[in-house]
Amino acid sequence: MLSLVECHHVTTEPQVVCSQFSKTKCRYSEDRGGGGDLVESLARFILDADPAIAGVGTTERPVPSLSSSGSSISSLQGLEPSRVLSRHSSMPQPTHLQKFLYFFIINLMIISHSMGFGPVSMSPGLATHMEDSPLMSIIKEVGLPKLPPHGRNDEERDLSERVPPPRSSSPVIGSPPVRAVPIGTPPKQPISHSLNHQSHHPTAVHVRAPLQHRYPPPFPERLSPNTLLNIANSPLGRSPFPPGVGPVLSQIKRAQLLNSQVAGFPRGGPAPPMLPGGGGFRPFFGGPPPPHGHRMGPMPPHGPPNHTPPIRHNTTHLHPQHRRMLTQRMQSRGGDRGRTGGDRRSRDPYSNLMTQKEKEWVTKIQMMQLQSTDPYLDDYYYQNYYEKMEKRQEKERDSSSRKEHTTKLITPQVAKVEHTYRPVQFAGSLGKLTVSSVNNPRKMIDAVVTTRSDDEEKREKQVWNKRRQILYTVEKMYSLLLEVQDFEKRFVQTPEEDREALLEQHKQNTEQLCNSMREKEWEDRVSDEQCVMIMSVRKGKRLVARLLPLLPSAQAAAIVMAIARNLPALTKKDKQDQVLCWLVEPVSAVIQSLSSSALTDLLQELQGSEGQLATVLQNKFGVTLLYLILSEGEKMQSSDPNCQLMDDNRWTELVFSVTRELLSVSSSSLSAPLFTPANLLSLFSRYVDRQRLELLQNKLQITALSR
Amino acid sequence: MSTELPAKEQHKMNYVPGTASLIDDIDKKHLVLLRDGRTLIGYLRSIDQFANLVFHQTVERIHVGKKFGDIPRGIFIVRGENVVLLGEIDVDKPCDTVLQQVSIEEILEEQRLQQQAKQETEKVKMQVLKDRGLSVPKADNLDEY
Repeated sequence: MLSLVECHHVTTEPQVVCSQFSKTKCRYSEDRGGGGDLVESLARFILDADPAIAGVGTTERPVPSLSSSGSSISSLQGLEPSRVLSRHSSMPQPTHLQKFLYFFIINLMIISHSMGFGPVSMSPGLATHMEDSPLMSIIKEVGLPKLPPHGRNDEERDLSERVPPPRSSSPVIGSPPVRAVPIGTPPKQPISHSLNHQSHHPTAVHVRAPLQHRYPPPFPERLSPNTLLNIANSPLGRSPFPPGVGPVLSQIKRAQLLNSQVAGFPRGGPAPPMLPGGGGFRPFFGGPPPPHGHRMGPMPPHGPPNHTPPIRHNTTHLHPQHRRMLTQRMQSRGGDRGRTGGDRRSRDPYSNLMTQKEKEWVTKIQMMQLQSTDPYLDDYYYQNYYEKMEKRQEKERDSSSRKEHTTKLITPQVAKVEHTYRPVQFAGSLGKLTVSSVNNPRKMIDAVVTTRSDDEEKREKQVWNKRRQILYTVEKMYSLLLEVQDFEKRFVQTPEEDREALLEQHKQNTEQLCNSMREKEWEDRVSDEQCVMIMSVRKGKRLVARLLPLLPSAQAAAIVMAIARNLPALTKKDKQDQVLCWLVEPVSAVIQSLSSSALTDLLQELQGSEGQLATVLQNKFGVTLLYLILSEGEKMQSSDPNCQLMDDNRWTELVFSVTRELLSVSSSSLSAPLFTPANLLSLFSRYVDRQRLELLQNKLQITALSR
Repeated sequence: MSTELPAKEQHKMNYVPGTASLIDDIDKKHLVLLRDGRTLIGYLRSIDQFANLVFHQTVERIHVGKKFGDIPRGIFIVRGENVVLLGEIDVDKPCDTVLQQVSIEEILEEQRLQQQAKQETEKVKMQVLKDRGLSVPKADNLDEY
């Protein structure tokens, strides 16, 4: 490669380029073979080789490679300043072609690296290929990054202002757009134009990539607090350690002196990459001192005045935010101080270090994080919570006092954009180039899903699998349930055309839900087994509780029957979870809709087998269920005197057996229900004599109290 | 300032309702507990989107038993990921704790003694476990999560 560069040295016309080649040469001699240098020299090589391009702004070079090494700076200095200046004064933007080439070369580097070539070992044959014109057309397909503009004098070039190399931002390869200012950058402080810009602006912050100003942005304008303390009687009493401030002050003072001394350096000198001795404090004081239109009256006497413009000579060593802070303080002093809180805050000299702009910037970032394509999906709980709150407020408030509305966070809704990645393909080449970027990351692991074959399963695993099967069923039913429940909301939101389809889907979903509880063979009966299976899991019980209101009444009744029938088994399974009581509400709703015969059936189911009632009574849910049934029966009887409840003796007999059981069972084993319906007593009064009634009353009241 | 209080409220209204934000906590005295167990007290001056905090007039408070000591630290910048919790200190509220403030040297001494005692017990425990053939890996060797 070296040889290539050297041989073309002779053929090039512009003298400037020649000098740059010599620069390259000397750089290579320093043994700095690196990808960036190579790329750059390659770029130059191509540009010069192709006469069509050579004429066009050949002199532009990307900034980073120039300032990539300290020694290269010295080589820069070796150039005649006029030539350099002229180069920069013309300041043309890198041409399109150059940019293409630049990017293309980077790509080639990638390829060459992957092919195993070393960075320096590019063969001449490959070099000649670069000149082919189809490549140019290929390159035109691919976008190129903007090379950062360099609009600074060499002398002012600051090592710390080095910009990162340009990133590719082509939508074709799927990389996200490159912002001039990265998203995480804090807002810039208003840059006060200073005449006495110092050539050695070392700023602590240099992450703002393209510099639009000749003067790098100052460190966020802050006042040296200790200077302020010096100036005015500050509430140092508030500071927890007044004595500690003393020595710090003097340090700062010393630094200021040093600073002012440094500021007196001649401007035209070589840009010193060094930081002065007081540089330890340099980040503290940061960038160029802004011009102060007026001098602050009470200023501590400082060291040797600067040689800089006479107006500002005393303020350069002070911290840039001096004026701002003082005016703020004066403002705050001027205002009335009603409250102590405000009082304290106004006397706090360090308040509002974070400007309003910065606060808004942070808030903006927070808001950006809340952008979503579907708030009901992403932020379900907040949206629902807010809706509930609104409803509650509307209920509480009268229409008269509608003034105050709690502010709602309106999250911006972003349209969903589908990004499909098509691998980039160069025309005329075989195959596709995969450039992985943030939007299309490279697949690192090839994961293949394998299902276990049946004969591998053992007994224990089967049992475990059964549970998994149940959980899986529950999950599927849950998702159906959620869709059904969200239907209304979605219906309102969808446009007219889609509503039909949505309705269809809704019907399907409900159908499916109903079927899920049914037996496999007989499509119309609720499967006991299925029910019990689902309810053996905690989530399943919750599911049933949510499902019951949605089902048609016949099916709901059937499910309740199934529950009653299998209550002992259910209670046994529920021992750990104790969540059967979730079912009380929906079940009571169902019971209230039952007919008298159905009610009687239900009561019978509850008592079903021998000893079932005893088990039922031991369980909270069971007792509650029983009470619900009885209460409903009583309601029926009392409301409608000739209801069918009394038609056959079943009801009466059942109630008798219940009372018998209630009386015989010991108080300790009788579980307290969730609530005791009021009309139980009247129910029992119909069926039992007074003595028994009293006994019952005592028993039940005891249980009621022992809740 | 005449507009101080409404301005303050305006602050709250301007910013993001319904979310938690540190903007309203700026310029107030806070206590922050860091992941390494340190307790810092200072005025919160600046934040950013990662909840990196800038504390002013920071004091590191070391608690040992019923005693505590304050070490003045100046300006602290805390990286957001190291914060466990952060809470505002009400400077107006009368402070009537049972804690007793001691000098820095004393509290450091106390802390050293406490660490020593802890190490002793830990050593004994490890020995006992070792005798029984069990071993509990030391926490600092484990991954954090």
